[in-house]
Amino acid sequence: MDLFFQQIVNGLVLGSIYSLVALGITLIYGIMHLPNFAHGHLYMLGAYVTFFLITDYGLSYWPAILFAVAILVVIGMLLERLVFRPLHHAPHINSMIASIGVMLFIEAIARKMWGSDYRRLDSPYDGIIDLFGLNITEQRLLVIVSAVVLMIGLHLFLKRTVIGSTIEAMAQNREGAFLVGINANKVSLMTFAIASGLAAAAASLAAPINLVYPSMGAMVNLKAFVIIVLGGMGSIPGAVIGGYILGLAESISGTYINSEYKDLAAFVLLILILTVRPTGLFAKEAR
Amino acid sequence: MRRVWRALFTLSTVVSLLFLAACGNSGGDSNVVTIGWSGPQSGGAALYGKNTLDGMKMAIDDINAAGGIKVGQDQVKLKLVALDDKYLPNETATNARRLKHENGATIIFTPHSGGVFAMQQFNVQENFLIAAYTSEPKVTEAKNPLLVRIPPNYHIYPKPFSEEMMKRFGKKVALVPGTHQYAKDWTALFKQTWMGLGGKIVAENPVDYNKESDFSSAVAKALSAKPDVLFVGGASQPTALIIKDAREQGFKGGVIMMDQAKLEEVEQVLKDPRLLEGVIGVRPASQWPTEGTKKVVDSYKKKFGADKIPTSEVLYHYMAVHLFAKAMELAGTTDDPAAIRAKINDASKQLPSDKIPLSVEGLSEDGALITQPKAITMKDGKYVEIQLSFQ
Repeated sequence: MDLFFQQIVNGLVLGSIYSLVALGITLIYGIMHLPNFAHGHLYMLGAYVTFFLITDYGLSYWPAILFAVAILVVIGMLLERLVFRPLHHAPHINSMIASIGVMLFIEAIARKMWGSDYRRLDSPYDGIIDLFGLNITEQRLLVIVSAVVLMIGLHLFLKRTVIGSTIEAMAQNREGAFLVGINANKVSLMTFAIASGLAAAAASLAAPINLVYPSMGAMVNLKAFVIIVLGGMGSIPGAVIGGYILGLAESISGTYINSEYKDLAAFVLLILILTVRPTGLFAKEAR
Repeated sequence: MRRVWRALFTLSTVVSLLFLAACGNSGGDSNVVTIGWSGPQSGGAALYGKNTLDGMKMAIDDINAAGGIKVGQDQVKLKLVALDDKYLPNETATNARRLKHENGATIIFTPHSGGVFAMQQFNVQENFLIAAYTSEPKVTEAKNPLLVRIPPNYHIYPKPFSEEMMKRFGKKVALVPGTHQYAKDWTALFKQTWMGLGGKIVAENPVDYNKESDFSSAVAKALSAKPDVLFVGGASQPTALIIKDAREQGFKGGVIMMDQAKLEEVEQVLKDPRLLEGVIGVRPASQWPTEGTKKVVDSYKKKFGADKIPTSEVLYHYMAVHLFAKAMELAGTTDDPAAIRAKINDASKQLPSDKIPLSVEGLSEDGALITQPKAITMKDGKYVEIQLSFQ
């Protein structure tokens, strides 16, 4: 039974990381109907920025995360302005291809600038906590808690602030939002900023558990896309719930079925859910 | 009309210039011999690929700085052409053809067994020599006449590793190896050896070392079977994370590392040597007790930073380039692969041990370099060497 609870905790850690990345993708999709394939690479960029702020600039962990989020917010805004806004009136496929281009570009830049080495981001939370007989490292606990805090923060922002409401309005009904005078460009910019900031936060939290290297974003990206399909494209609760479902499914099936088949188990789950609900768990409407 | 002529004129000038430039690169200078390389430069194995290339580049720079090699009457310089194959055998095959036909390479290096298998299909027909950096035994079982395997066969490791760990920790092992082909083959051999020695396998839990965000769930499952020894193996850095996770979850037993993971790299990730207590693996190539090894390790540190240690990939490739260069000198040719391979055995005996790292005793009949690696294990906070037996 201990093993079961241990795996639940492990699943929650995985799920937290997946959810935070998936949230960014689903936000952008909800507003711009753009599957941003480069999102995982923004995550990677966030991890590198945190890493260098700590090792080269001597910042401690939390300030480094804050700065990394701020830097990624700026990068996200630049991407929106320079790459995606000019394509706004072009056929849809153009921005999709542009996002793949951005993805390759970011990875190539990372390899050129920082090399292909694996780097280890040390966090000050290296201790082990004994939680009712379960061993959990402080960093993993931190991932779970911070993810929840970030999600609540995002929720409050969207529901309680005017800017947040404009984003929600755009996601719910584009034409309606225009009619009441919401500036679409501003909202797109804001969405990219938030999504990139979330990616940076997720990366800084997760990086000490794993390693920092140029292709680290690719695998998380793939999982995040699975999650938003599972949760319903553009749905925020869908991304959160979907992330936890996938994380838990992976760790539980890895334990009780076979670790070699755990990706398979996760995808079978995806197929099953999509058979019952083809638009995903929380889709507002079929798109 | 005039504009069209002008455009045509510019275009033809550019094309002819390009043509001339291309000639200058390949055919024009006969005193340069191209060494080909096809390996991963992007994706999860990019670092591994870079290490192999670094070794080759250093060797080629050193050889050229000393004036090149003497083939017949000519002084010949070496040139490296590297193509990315993303670790995919089909890409290696395409690259090998390009390296042979576009760049005129007679010797082509590749650092993975899949790529070697792909090239073996046509290397005799297309007349080039494969320099295979893989310890996969099947590579030499094919008895390809134009192949040289650089590192030793991994068959030598499982038995001494198992005996040592059984003696120190016990007979129950849990397996958490990678899911790539190399790890599968290694694991199969290891299982057979472990059970042959009377051991028991209490859990088998392979995970994809390149696709996990967090290994702790796989490790938790393996440890729930209460093993005495953990078997791990894949690229060094994820392997280190698995060891770290296991220690964090309270595992105090022994750890057997497949030869793909390098202790010197694992050490850099873990930082705390106490986590390595009871780990057994291949001795870092940089600790080979020869003057040449020391020299190359020093010059590597000068080039890449004092805290960097050259891995086996760097050192073996450095040595291999020198070996092939020597063989070309002895054979008196740079484009006859059979003649070059025929001189590898002699060449290996002429490599100066005070300049070249590692020590090669010759070429075995099936085309493998004969070297004598050792195992190493952390015991009471100190590394202890363990002799490997060779049949």
